[in-house]
Amino acid sequence: MKRTVPLMIVMVGGILMMVQYFIPHQYSQVILDNYVEWAPIVGAFALILGVGSLTRLHTHKIRRKAKNWQYSWAVLIPLFGMPFFALIVPQSLGGGSEVHGVHDFLFMHIQVPIQSTMFSLLAFYIASAAFRAFRAKSALATILLLAAVIVMLGQVPIGDVLGKWLPNTGLWILRYPNLAAKRAIMLGVGFGMLATNLKIIFGVERNWLGGAGK
Amino acid sequence: MSAVNIWEKMLNVDRRWIFLGIGIVSIVPFLIGFGMPITTTIEVEGIFDYVDELGPDDAIFIGFDFAPGTQAENMPMAVAVMRHAFHNRIPVFMTAYVPLGKGMAVAALDYVTNPKTDGYYERVLFEDWADYREAGITNKEELTAAWESDGNVLSEGAAGWVFEGRDYVLLGYLPLFHLVILGMTGSIETQFPVDYHNNPIGGMPILMEHKSLREVDLALTTSGSAACTAWITYAREKIGLPIAFGVTGVMATDYFPYIQSGQIVGQMGGLRGAAEYEVLLKENGITRTTGKAFRGMDVQSAAHIFIILLIIMGNIAFFAGGFHKKTRLKGRR
Repeated sequence: MKRTVPLMIVMVGGILMMVQYFIPHQYSQVILDNYVEWAPIVGAFALILGVGSLTRLHTHKIRRKAKNWQYSWAVLIPLFGMPFFALIVPQSLGGGSEVHGVHDFLFMHIQVPIQSTMFSLLAFYIASAAFRAFRAKSALATILLLAAVIVMLGQVPIGDVLGKWLPNTGLWILRYPNLAAKRAIMLGVGFGMLATNLKIIFGVERNWLGGAGK
Repeated sequence: MSAVNIWEKMLNVDRRWIFLGIGIVSIVPFLIGFGMPITTTIEVEGIFDYVDELGPDDAIFIGFDFAPGTQAENMPMAVAVMRHAFHNRIPVFMTAYVPLGKGMAVAALDYVTNPKTDGYYERVLFEDWADYREAGITNKEELTAAWESDGNVLSEGAAGWVFEGRDYVLLGYLPLFHLVILGMTGSIETQFPVDYHNNPIGGMPILMEHKSLREVDLALTTSGSAACTAWITYAREKIGLPIAFGVTGVMATDYFPYIQSGQIVGQMGGLRGAAEYEVLLKENGITRTTGKAFRGMDVQSAAHIFIILLIIMGNIAFFAGGFHKKTRLKGRR
């Protein structure tokens, strides 16, 4: 029962949505509208599960004083603090998610700079990695290195200054060899997804059940 | 000290020197500003030309489908297209594929309507022009004339008025946004009964004239995520909605097949793409100056040159030192 019911739901739902896509009829649209309304509601339960699980994990760490337990506060305080200011604190006291509220302040002055900083650090690590690891050890590595240098120069204005052939060659690499490789990868991934989805819909692939009912 | 030792020492250089170098080449050009010219590509011109042909009877979606991490690249793209749309009086719907994108949309709108921004647009909130709506004045030109005849004067330096609910609406974020796109192909209002400020969107002229994605003329997704493919799968392929991409530099290479297949009208790739759009705006007299992306290209030029020099130096040291013959370097590499 634990396996049969979920398998049936997946099979019926999967086939229904697959067929629905190709039927431009009013009833078909009703099915789609209902699905679009239902899916986020079902998805919301995953959010509850996720927040609950995260909270449990970190409260447990704090209670046990596990290694680096102090950082768990850094997870829990914003996790509940942001919704608290956005949803519970009245607007007259700086609540709400509008501009000039506490939520907006925390977002613009803490979250935005933190995320931007984290992403910016990539530049430093890429520079270091390029120096230490980007070697023309073989013919293929040399081709890769040359292509990378041409595209890097072609993408910035100084490439135009150094010579028109640089941006033109860089764009040629992106538009033709890169495109061909990407298309091949995308087709491969697409067929793989199709095969996996069909296997899930028809119950051949059952790993997603997580061993339930065994 | 033997020659080999010099090369080995060079390869084992403390990484903090490299960090310092990249820090300097990132900061100095930004402060000086070389203003090197940027040539435009057909990928960006495709978007510009498409938007330029639209008018007040059309509408576009701008998807703020990125988090603050990639805002340096994605934000100037969204801002440039928003300014273009406001200039041509094209109504703009703003959405977010990721939760933090909502904040990015607010920040972009604040920037475009901030008096400190050159050629800013003066914003009129939805509740501020309620009387005009009740009087049935919703046409942009009539609304502007009526608004100004009531004593509202456009500030010096402002490029025009933008009325919330008429010229733009900030719809915000909803979870499982790919399903939201699918739902909007039938009705925008069923997915977003209210906007970001809790205004019912059913009473907004922008929605009355464009009830679903079928009545929209372009969706630009500025993205640092998988939003691009969602817009293609659920909007382009289902109802034929024209799509344009504004993606980060590292993602740009992934989406060239969509350009060649004609599934998107164009693509802005990374900061370069945004800078090209800013150049096109200036060349066509839509803005007086270029923006942050154009300025950022000087930094990118310097950083790319620096990284290429590092690669060259690393390879010289590697081969001159004969390390290609050894399996492993000594030291703490």
